[in-house]
Amino acid sequence: MTLVDAADLPPEDSRLRVFWRRYRRNRAAVLGLILLGAVILMALVAGIYEPVDPLRRAGDPLARPFVDWATPLGTDQLGRDILAGILHGARISLMIGVVATSISITIGVAVGACAGYFGGWVDDVLMRVTEAFQTIPNFVLLLALVAILGSQIENIVLAIGIVSWTAPARLARAEFMSLRNREFVEAARNLGVGDASLIFREILPNALPPVVVYASVIMALAILLESALAFLGLGDPNYASWGNMIGQGRAVLRDSFYVALIPGLAIIFTVLSFSLLGEGLNEVLNPRQKKG
Amino acid sequence: MSEMSVSPVLQIENLQISLPAGADRPHALEGLSLTVNPGEVVCLVGESGSGKSLAAGAIMRLLPEPLVRKTGGTVIFEGRDLDELSEREMRALRGERMSMIFQEPMTALNPQKSVGWQIDEVLRLHTGLSGKERRARVIEMLGQVKIPDPASACNAYPHQVSGGQRQRVMIAMALILQPKLVIADEPTTALDVTTQLEILKLIRELQEREGTGILFITHDFGVVAEIADRVAVLREGLLVEEGPAREVLNAPRHPYTRALIAAVPSLRPPRPRDFSGAPVVLKAENIVKTYKARGSFFSGKRAGVRAVDDVSFDLRRSETLGIVGESGSGKTTVSRCVTRLLECDSGRASLDGRDILHLSAKALRAMRSEIQMVFQDPMASLNPRKRVVDLIAQGPIVHGADPAEARAKARELLALVELSPAAAERFPHEFSGGQRQRIGIARALAMEPKVIVADEPVSALDVSVQAQVLRLLADLRDRLDLSLLFVTHDLRVASQLCDRIVVMERGRVVEQGVTAEVFANPRHAYTRKLLSSIPGRDWTPPSFRDDAA
Repeated sequence: MTLVDAADLPPEDSRLRVFWRRYRRNRAAVLGLILLGAVILMALVAGIYEPVDPLRRAGDPLARPFVDWATPLGTDQLGRDILAGILHGARISLMIGVVATSISITIGVAVGACAGYFGGWVDDVLMRVTEAFQTIPNFVLLLALVAILGSQIENIVLAIGIVSWTAPARLARAEFMSLRNREFVEAARNLGVGDASLIFREILPNALPPVVVYASVIMALAILLESALAFLGLGDPNYASWGNMIGQGRAVLRDSFYVALIPGLAIIFTVLSFSLLGEGLNEVLNPRQKKG
Repeated sequence: MSEMSVSPVLQIENLQISLPAGADRPHALEGLSLTVNPGEVVCLVGESGSGKSLAAGAIMRLLPEPLVRKTGGTVIFEGRDLDELSEREMRALRGERMSMIFQEPMTALNPQKSVGWQIDEVLRLHTGLSGKERRARVIEMLGQVKIPDPASACNAYPHQVSGGQRQRVMIAMALILQPKLVIADEPTTALDVTTQLEILKLIRELQEREGTGILFITHDFGVVAEIADRVAVLREGLLVEEGPAREVLNAPRHPYTRALIAAVPSLRPPRPRDFSGAPVVLKAENIVKTYKARGSFFSGKRAGVRAVDDVSFDLRRSETLGIVGESGSGKTTVSRCVTRLLECDSGRASLDGRDILHLSAKALRAMRSEIQMVFQDPMASLNPRKRVVDLIAQGPIVHGADPAEARAKARELLALVELSPAAAERFPHEFSGGQRQRIGIARALAMEPKVIVADEPVSALDVSVQAQVLRLLADLRDRLDLSLLFVTHDLRVASQLCDRIVVMERGRVVEQGVTAEVFANPRHAYTRKLLSSIPGRDWTPPSFRDDAA
């Protein structure tokens, strides 16, 4: 009765399989994954599809879509191929999404972890700084940063990361505060485990799921922020980002609406894919709903 | 006790409740038949997962449908088949003719409404009384459940009254319309032992006055001995034994009931062992710990709470010292102070003669290997994202052991705590509560400590598992020459395991001595009160020489 046989334990499913089984339950989340797959495919195809340089003139200006098969989605007022712009824009958008989100999550988790774990004056100082960032509207701060740093793509990504770390910081802080007094952390401390190890090895893996879910939201926001910047003409002109394309299409919106509409749709679907993905991840990772 | 001619309040016949696909068994309850007569307390006893709470849900027609639903049998209440009633008729019954008392009164009461308002709501829904009459009735009822100063209690909010008082409020709510049937689902499990006895007495007294039938759900045979007229024992959804309380408690027929009763620790401590010659391993002197109240910006500093006030004790080699007390007595705080998980304000503590309260960070980490803890909640104390072997080997690795060797040793330790070596590669959530606690013990042993501090290590476990874990702890203590500081609220457990006990009340030690002597001849009034509050203290569990447990 007391000795446990291997046979008594439930068979161990691979974590990935359990993950997929739970994820699959939400149809919308699966759709999100498919959309994201499509965006990634677009980014991959960008190098193969001609013309390779999306900023090069490919035909007559303002050719309508579905007319000339050399430029299937038409051209803008400078004669640049819109399809090439969309494909290359997918690369830029994904790159911005991933890099800016990594920056924002890294800063956010580091600040939140320290504030939540140590508490006291560390918490007070870090949280006042966070609040200072939060009081300035995101986009205004972004404009200021880009104006100071210049509008190279690296600076834009960095600036987006810097304006969006506050929410993950608060999230991580709340998780750390509730986890730091849990018995398993005390048990590890009782074994003589040091602070750094407690933070990174014991608490962080348990605090991460809600942060990962939120990362998908930041990813979508980062893409939107970059598009908004480009729309205002502050994007990096050396890259065909979707925002740049909409910004240029604005001038010919009345008679050639498709120049702005097509990249607009691309943004909508990409952002949608990330937010559906986030919802699916939330269902999988949220411990309150863990079943089967 | 009712006569045969009285028609039963509640008749359950062949009740079957199905569980969703993928649960550990297809039916939560199978073929449960049970009757409750007026003026009778029927105890439904079972371990966790036996389906006893779902039985209550089925009677009230409050099952979490459609996942869990009734698939067979009838529930007849006062001669009416509950399945035939409309939802509206059912609502009229609930609260008025049948009512329920829950385990956790804090969550069962709405924190936003005053106590009086919530009792009044029952009257408002089910009677046509005027506001004035209702208020008079509420105050009268609060008086009947013996709440001091009912008129002002009426205006208090749930968080302003103590746990015991909240449960009295719940009882007032359940009984104000003089229902014929009350279902009490573990109503005293969350309460301290002295409060528990008062509440049990109160339920008994009110029930006898009104002739109510009570279906009392519990896992605790002590409580059963205290209150039951009849007992029904559930095991994994099956009724294994039913009969008058005296028979089931003193001469159980079914092997499962025998095993359960055999697992209830006796209140007679074993013959004391002599430790006067053994060296003192852990010595605590005049420990004081105050929790500072964090005043708000405007109110300024508030006075702190003295959680531990001048506590001293000695723990000798291979001895078990029990620290017993109710919630808020400071027993857990003491255990955290001597393991340095909390910093105490003043006092001295030494391990093998070396001071442990003023160590450098490095010396502190070295000291931790000599004094290890086993925690209360075996799920919460194991990092859910680590494999068992890594959990056990973590301590030695932190202290500089070779990782491969530490893991090999961890596997050996699994055998020592009676788990299969195959457990090493699994995650904590794959184990039952008792198995997890074994992992926790193995983790403590991996450090080869001199002292193990166990903070309520068995209070989250079912009684049969509890007995196994206690036996394991005692066995390891004797084999490995460990000293055990055992924190518990359960005097039955303390009486069996501890050589000496320290009784704490509100941060102070009121009495300490050899367990057998304290139990036989308690000197302090509080100790006497604690001992006389143990549920079922007059019942001696029969011993079975032939049982397998």
